[in-house]
Amino acid sequence: MDLKRYLNERSLIWLALLLAALLIPVFFGTNQYAMVLVTTVLLYAVLAAAWNIIGGMAGQLDLAVGAYLGLGAFTTGTLLIKWNITPWVGMLVGGIIATGFAFLIGFPLFGFKIKEVWYALSSSAMVEVLRVLFLMWDGVGGPTEVYLPTVISPLYSLRFNTYIPYYVIILVLLIGVIFLNHRIRSSRLGYSLLALGEDEDAVEVLGVDSRASKLKALMIYAFIAGVVGGLYGCIYGFLHPSFFSTALSTEIAILGIVGGLGITYGPLLAAIVLVSLKEYLRSQLGGGLEGLYLVIYALFLIVVALYQPRGIAPLLETGYQKIKSLFGVRADVKSQ
Amino acid sequence: MVETATQSVITGVMMGVIYALIALGLSIVFGVMNVVNFAHGEFVMLSMYLSYFVGTALAWDAVATPFITVPLLFVFGLITYYLLIDRTLRQMYVVQLAVTVGLQILMRSVALIAFKAQPRALQYSLIQGSIEIGGFTILTSRLVSAAVSLIIIAAIAYFLNKTWSGAAMRAASDDLDAASLMGVNYHRTYALTFAIGAALTAIAGGLLMSFQQTDPVGGVRYGLLSWCVLALAGLGSLPGLIVAGIIVGIAETLAISFIDPRARLLAPYLIFILVLWLKPRGLFGRK
Repeated sequence: MDLKRYLNERSLIWLALLLAALLIPVFFGTNQYAMVLVTTVLLYAVLAAAWNIIGGMAGQLDLAVGAYLGLGAFTTGTLLIKWNITPWVGMLVGGIIATGFAFLIGFPLFGFKIKEVWYALSSSAMVEVLRVLFLMWDGVGGPTEVYLPTVISPLYSLRFNTYIPYYVIILVLLIGVIFLNHRIRSSRLGYSLLALGEDEDAVEVLGVDSRASKLKALMIYAFIAGVVGGLYGCIYGFLHPSFFSTALSTEIAILGIVGGLGITYGPLLAAIVLVSLKEYLRSQLGGGLEGLYLVIYALFLIVVALYQPRGIAPLLETGYQKIKSLFGVRADVKSQ
Repeated sequence: MVETATQSVITGVMMGVIYALIALGLSIVFGVMNVVNFAHGEFVMLSMYLSYFVGTALAWDAVATPFITVPLLFVFGLITYYLLIDRTLRQMYVVQLAVTVGLQILMRSVALIAFKAQPRALQYSLIQGSIEIGGFTILTSRLVSAAVSLIIIAAIAYFLNKTWSGAAMRAASDDLDAASLMGVNYHRTYALTFAIGAALTAIAGGLLMSFQQTDPVGGVRYGLLSWCVLALAGLGSLPGLIVAGIIVGIAETLAISFIDPRARLLAPYLIFILVLWLKPRGLFGRK
């Protein structure tokens, strides 16, 4: 039967994870702090999972998630403020604008074969350019914080006073993005991306249009970041040019690298570990030591890059195989 | 209008030469080792802080502090090389980048914790004040800093062209395998290169502290500025580096005068992106 093919061990683990994620609001729904924490973890996980498409699979060290996130947030927020358009529509428009922007940037960038460090730097510079432009653009608020209003109903303007709805929306997004990652990986696009991450010239010789592949990856990633940006604005309840953040962009790339480049569940794992750690340190230390989490992020990144260049996800895999062999299941046998 | 423009160009040229000095260390490291140091701007930031502390502790003028900070940064460069960079040489470039990005965040966040967010500046400097020539103001600090920068760049050019170590660096840059066969120990050459690159930021840091303040996140600006100058200049041409620095400096001052002080950052970034698109090897690139 067809169902049997999908009911393997791996999908059971995913199902268990999903069930656990759905139970979190049931048990911790009244604990505002816990909900903020899990929502933040998922928010970073979605962005890192989207980053995985351009950074992990296509091997382009993109440091511009803040640009697409900011564009999404400003589009969604401005549509709501000026024309009372619901963020449900605004998020999609934001995603489309971010995608369009990605195309404008990526088309010449990949056309001129800009890669490696120059790609990383130009993407990072782009975030700064947008931040300064939005600081100077008084029509959408300039340097002041613009607050998002609640119009018609909380559901219409996506302004809730509890985190549970946001958590659920982001969870749905995350499932979608992970599924997308999975689909891309086993598609023609995915194989092209993985191959050109390894050796671009060889891939070109084999007849893959590396520019089109990279452009597609960039646009998919930008669309997701734009949609998440719309939600991001609604969660925080205001718009500010600081959304175009180089720090956030680097953080997302770190999650992608630490998790394991190109591994679907890598970003999720890294987000769960690092973002929880960050929020924990923030709540415990505060004061002058607020920045300590960044020190730990940086050390994590350096150590992983030097000693475990494939990321922490493969560690989980080997750990899992070991546990299985402890219980007498041979590691190489796939349950059918 | 014309007068403002001329004044901006004068200031821009002087700042530009200093930018060339800031980018020099990065250019040498990238050119010789093909290693991307994302933390270059943070090296400048660290140098400025060291200058600040040396300047306050010994009551020295900012321009004199490099006599102490240059050796410190040289050692710091050596340590960084052997601890981190040397291990990444044969790795994928994403891993290489990740290590220096990690170093960048590490230096910035440690600086934030250790030095707090408020900016620091040295009280006074020998080279403060200004000269009036034909109605235009020339700030002495910028003029002296620019002159020192030119001398340092010339000295580095001499070192690269006329000494054995310099020749070893250029050889390693051209063909690592052939250079190794000719008896160049590339680990040692690379270590020296990286340490010199770091030490150069100490000179730039001392000069910058004579007229600017420093704060923990300011490094990002110098980093991107250096990459912009480097992208414009291309690798392997020191005169090109000076011209590129001047172009960036002028673009910056013109943006401040004619668009908006807030647009200051835009000019170098836009130049950077445009140059990458239109002239990926830079204006004067050798390779």
